[in-house]
Amino acid sequence: MTLSILLIDSDQIRAKALEEKLSESGFVQVTHAQGGDLARAVEQSRPDLIIVDMALPDRDALEDIRSVSTASPVVMFAGTDDPEFAREAIAAGVCSYNLSGVAYAHIKPIMASAVALFQRYRHVETELAAARALLEERRLIERAKAILMRDRKMTEPEAYRWLQKKAMNEARRLAQIVAEFVAEHEDPRRESKS
Amino acid sequence: MSEIVSLDSRRAETGLRLGLLPLTDSAPAIVAHEFGWFAEEGVETELHMEPSWANIADKLAYGLLDAAIILPPLAFAVELGLRGIRQPLLVPCSVSHGGNTVTLSRDLAQKVRHLAQDRTSAQALADCLAGRDEPLPLGIVHAYSSHNLLLRYWLATAGLEAGRDVRLMVVPPARAVEALKSGQIAGFCAGAPWGEVAAREGAGDMVASSDDIWRDAPEKAFAVRARWAEENPEGVKGAVRALARAGRFCDAPENASYTGALLARQRYLDVDSHAVLSSLPGGAIASRNQSRFWRHAATFPWKSHALWFLSQMARWDLVGSTDHAALAERVYRPDIYRAALAPLGVDVPRVDSKVEGAHAAPWQLDAVPHAIPMGPDRFCDGQLFEPGRP
Repeated sequence: MTLSILLIDSDQIRAKALEEKLSESGFVQVTHAQGGDLARAVEQSRPDLIIVDMALPDRDALEDIRSVSTASPVVMFAGTDDPEFAREAIAAGVCSYNLSGVAYAHIKPIMASAVALFQRYRHVETELAAARALLEERRLIERAKAILMRDRKMTEPEAYRWLQKKAMNEARRLAQIVAEFVAEHEDPRRESKS
Repeated sequence: MSEIVSLDSRRAETGLRLGLLPLTDSAPAIVAHEFGWFAEEGVETELHMEPSWANIADKLAYGLLDAAIILPPLAFAVELGLRGIRQPLLVPCSVSHGGNTVTLSRDLAQKVRHLAQDRTSAQALADCLAGRDEPLPLGIVHAYSSHNLLLRYWLATAGLEAGRDVRLMVVPPARAVEALKSGQIAGFCAGAPWGEVAAREGAGDMVASSDDIWRDAPEKAFAVRARWAEENPEGVKGAVRALARAGRFCDAPENASYTGALLARQRYLDVDSHAVLSSLPGGAIASRNQSRFWRHAATFPWKSHALWFLSQMARWDLVGSTDHAALAERVYRPDIYRAALAPLGVDVPRVDSKVEGAHAAPWQLDAVPHAIPMGPDRFCDGQLFEPGRP
């Protein structure tokens, strides 16, 4: 038996990775769609299962899928008998529509691959964002210290303590304090002249 | 009137994951969050901007959201498990009235307007469609939406029927303008600011607003998981107070430019602030389509509104044979609204239900301690909706 899957994901790299993973089993045929008229894409490819990225507003159009697949039952989250798994899938940002009533046992490994992949991608994204924020914070602290050392003739440890104290007194995070401080004291026009 | 804020400042903090869509109706929730009004009530909100109604419904159903600013028919669909697993919900307050538009492509809108000089715009549309081979494709934001119900109601007044004369397709609000431009749809019924965005981009024009279909029609509601409400009885009341306070802020014309700028931010609606502004009370002179967030008892969860939505859902086969009265009783909770706001001296209606569509002119609603000035509430076909009567 070959299962046909319609994969709707705005992230092309992730879609490709998922397609490769699913094709390994040899039992699935994957088609892509990127948004737009999804009802038409469903009508054309007549998939057994749709896996969709929840970040797409188009998902609402799939809610209307009953109008395109008249005879076959539409099951959201094929595994309604496993709510924990469905919950995990939603949290990971993947949602499925089982159009032809394929048995849950057949779909679960496919969904599990999709969920694992989405989770991994999200993990990487969050880590990347956190690393960027940290770097930016370090850069701003260095910049603020340099301004204090230049304008107020402080030593480096004095400048750092001054910033820490300001953050403490105003009950705000150091990152906010330095961002504001640098924005206030760093006039790009003045810098370019001096 | 005094500020809507509880006097008890010592309370436990409760986390509330609140789901929203990029719509003008989200204004009170965004304002209450940004101004720290939820926090003042001991409710630590986390706003989740979701791209689609399906996400709101699924995340509520699986407990990944505690509450949402939601379409009342979708709240009933989640409560009844009509589109996935079932999750009991409560509606302790309403959020907005009005704000939807029926927007048609520019050419069609022009024809309709031209014909509508001596008849209603729905009849004018019917005349435009006479002799057409194919049903006209129109976008609605969700099957379980007030838009689907209002649009069908309006079409029916001119004898137009979904399936035969028009083909209703689900197009998420933020995608409606794009779909109209590409010709995928010939028009849509969606909430603000998307009708205004279409007009500004030259893609379409409004031929009717929610007020033209039902004056002062209820629009979004605040729905919270019943389980969360049970575990956090003070939290629910606090959230209602924060939303009511924000509703009053958003309803004041002098705050429109501020609210518009806040909503237009990338993190929220990410559109031109002028488009949002025109749908805010006082944001534009002579705008035919403004949302109401406080006046006319816009935050009160009327049982008669719940029953109207259910009766229309039944009319179009969107809900099976359930006991509507019992369902409305279980989900819509004016008692929580009163418990949250009456102690602060806020005017609250004396009754939970009213006859809908009975007023052609402004009127006074019996409320405690003071009567509430109300606006006209007529339906476009002049019908009355009397809860409890078939």
